Amino acid sequence: MADTHVDHEALSALREVMEDSYPELLDTFLADSENRLRELQQTADADALSSVAHSFKGSSSNMGATRLAVLCQELEQHAKDKSPSEIIKLVADIHSEFADVRPVYVAERQRSLTH
Amino acid sequence: MQPLEPLTILIAEDSAADRLLLSTIVRRQGHEVLTATHGGEAVEAFIRQKPHLVLMDAMMPVMDGFEAARQIKKLAGESLVPIIFLTSLTESEALARCLEAGGDDFLAKPYNQVILAAKIKAMDRLRRLQATVLQQRDLIAKHHDYLLNEQRVAKAVFDKVAHSGCLSAPNIRYLQSPYALFNGDLLLAAYTPAGDMHVLLGDFTGHGLPAAVGAMPLAEVFYGMTAKGYGLAETLREMNAKLKRILPVDMFCCATLLCLSFQRRSVEVWNGGMPDGYLHCLATGERTPLAARHLPLGVLSPQTFDDRTEVHPMAVGDRVFLLSDGVIDTCDANDQLFGVERLHKVFAANRQPDRLFEDIEQALQDFRGEARDDVSMVEVSLLEAEQINPSAPVYSDSGQSCPLDWSVSFEFRGATLKRFNPLPYLLQLLLEVHGLRAQSGALYSVLAELYSNALEHGVLGLDSSLKRDASGFAHYYEQRNARLEALQDGYVRVHLQVRPEGEGGCLVVRVEDSGQGFDVARVMERPLDDVRLSGRGVSLVRQLARNASWSDDGRSARVEFFWEALA
Amino acid sequence: MSVVTEVSADGQKLTISVKGRFDFGRHQEFRESYERLTKKPDSIVVDLKDATYLDSSALGMLLLLRDHAGGDDSDVRVVNSNSDVRKILAISNFDKLFDIS
Repeated sequence: MADTHVDHEALSALREVMEDSYPELLDTFLADSENRLRELQQTADADALSSVAHSFKGSSSNMGATRLAVLCQELEQHAKDKSPSEIIKLVADIHSEFADVRPVYVAERQRSLTH
Repeated sequence: MQPLEPLTILIAEDSAADRLLLSTIVRRQGHEVLTATHGGEAVEAFIRQKPHLVLMDAMMPVMDGFEAARQIKKLAGESLVPIIFLTSLTESEALARCLEAGGDDFLAKPYNQVILAAKIKAMDRLRRLQATVLQQRDLIAKHHDYLLNEQRVAKAVFDKVAHSGCLSAPNIRYLQSPYALFNGDLLLAAYTPAGDMHVLLGDFTGHGLPAAVGAMPLAEVFYGMTAKGYGLAETLREMNAKLKRILPVDMFCCATLLCLSFQRRSVEVWNGGMPDGYLHCLATGERTPLAARHLPLGVLSPQTFDDRTEVHPMAVGDRVFLLSDGVIDTCDANDQLFGVERLHKVFAANRQPDRLFEDIEQALQDFRGEARDDVSMVEVSLLEAEQINPSAPVYSDSGQSCPLDWSVSFEFRGATLKRFNPLPYLLQLLLEVHGLRAQSGALYSVLAELYSNALEHGVLGLDSSLKRDASGFAHYYEQRNARLEALQDGYVRVHLQVRPEGEGGCLVVRVEDSGQGFDVARVMERPLDDVRLSGRGVSLVRQLARNASWSDDGRSARVEFFWEALA
Repeated sequence: MSVVTEVSADGQKLTISVKGRFDFGRHQEFRESYERLTKKPDSIVVDLKDATYLDSSALGMLLLLRDHAGGDDSDVRVVNSNSDVRKILAISNFDKLFDIS
């Protein structure tokens, strides 16, 4: 199920571009994402939420995590007009979506070590 | 297509993963990469390392992409440093912000390598184009400065040549831009030894140095020959031949030449390619146009050049007005020409002849909306002969070895009379006698009068009474030219004798012709200061020389000149 | 193209048509129109039907053409001039060098 959330063609393109630096990219993405998730959970300020969501959206789309990017887009656009409870739900969705795709990137990382 | 040279590209992106990805992509394309994590760092990196191109994330902390872009564009100045915005902004408003901030393009996330490569290439092409434009602009500016300097030098040299003339004479009024020479406009004026005045208003094709360079040899011929006593026709032939020889085929000089004679009360005109001049008769208010009947100077070979002039009578106070085509060609905002009709209206409306220039300038200004500084105008009036004061020529020899006791005779026959004017040579010869130099004006006038009487009334048989009015004048000169063309036989003899007398000396001049003669007694009876147009020759000779007498039924004239010992 | 040339079938007559402003900007085109012909035509016609304006550099170009075509032995005609162009040619007395109509 996680695989339908990640664009595998995008991943191969990344693998091809990055070559030996592919593992580094994956590590960086995973680390950044953890930071962002933490920020999303810790702040209630609409502007801050929007800004973090925007960044997260950018890197997720680059990394082929399309559904994650869509969710971030939603939060970025509506951080101001959603109610606090709606926001909490959206952040939770983002969190869970990331949890779903994370294994894919970890697996990629493993694979790149052996190839 | 040319392979792209490696560029230095600055990547400003706050997301680490995106930054890493983009740097790798760009490095793989062969470029050197600088990175920054926010706008402030981007600006610093730009100042330090001057990258060729910038990939800028729009949303960054500390200083966002828009502000950084603005600052970098300002720092870049005239050079083009393309900025490609990295954005996942989708709203068109946001995209417009990118362009307003000085962005040249944008790249959407997720990054597409192919698109990125294409955009970098396109932006680099623009960057190099801008650099070429600036380089060429600077080169042009440098050459322009050199050119201006060369013209300054040429102008300085030319001013020395031009100022041997008499443009400041009391009967000349003129208007010329200080840079007239570089519009190709030329204005020269000089006295002949007889006290006549030659004036030239010219207009060379082209502008700048080529026009100025042609003007100098022309001026030297004009001044040299006028000072020696050559007439308009000979001077024109020489000027035309010179320009034909030295100028390229497609360059020429339009010109109007005048010979104003205060003594004979006439003006001789030659107009090659210039706009109409105007002869203004004070008494009737009438303005006679002096139209171009010839090709400009420097076009025809010496064999085909036409030196025929027109002669008009003038009374004291009459004026000849000449102008360059700058007046007629003045345009207004709708590209309408000022034209000849408007000029004529100004003439008609002009109440004070002395204000003609001002009236014309005002009309031009009203028409165009602003003043023009490249029109040339000159107005030459006929004043009383006494009011004219030509400066004495300067001689460079010491006079220690001048000839004091000699005689010489010349006989000029048919074919020679047609083509040759002996007066300058005779005068040059006589001026070797130091004592005669102070009277060179009178000497030349008398010689010229005697010779022209001998030729025109004697050999050609022209009736001087024809010259009593304007139309008769024209008829007289037409006949003169026709008869001269057809001349086969006949002669004019000139005898010169110089001998010492007391402390000084004496010159005896005799001029004989092969004509019918005239009734000497009747002409002698007329009062001395007759102001009629015709028959002034005898009167003039009797006033300027001593012991004037006519013999052989008027076919032979004799005059004397005396001088005292020199100090 | 503001300078258009046409050579007759037998190569004897060259017609050069100048459109628009006949000024210094036309210099190169005008020269090329007669310089690159391999066979020199016997007669040349300059058609100014669509020429709106003529200045002194155009006069210079006509002189160059005439010189190239044999100077005094040349046969160069200038045709279809409008009244403004005619006036300029008249003042400079170019009808003494060219057949103008």
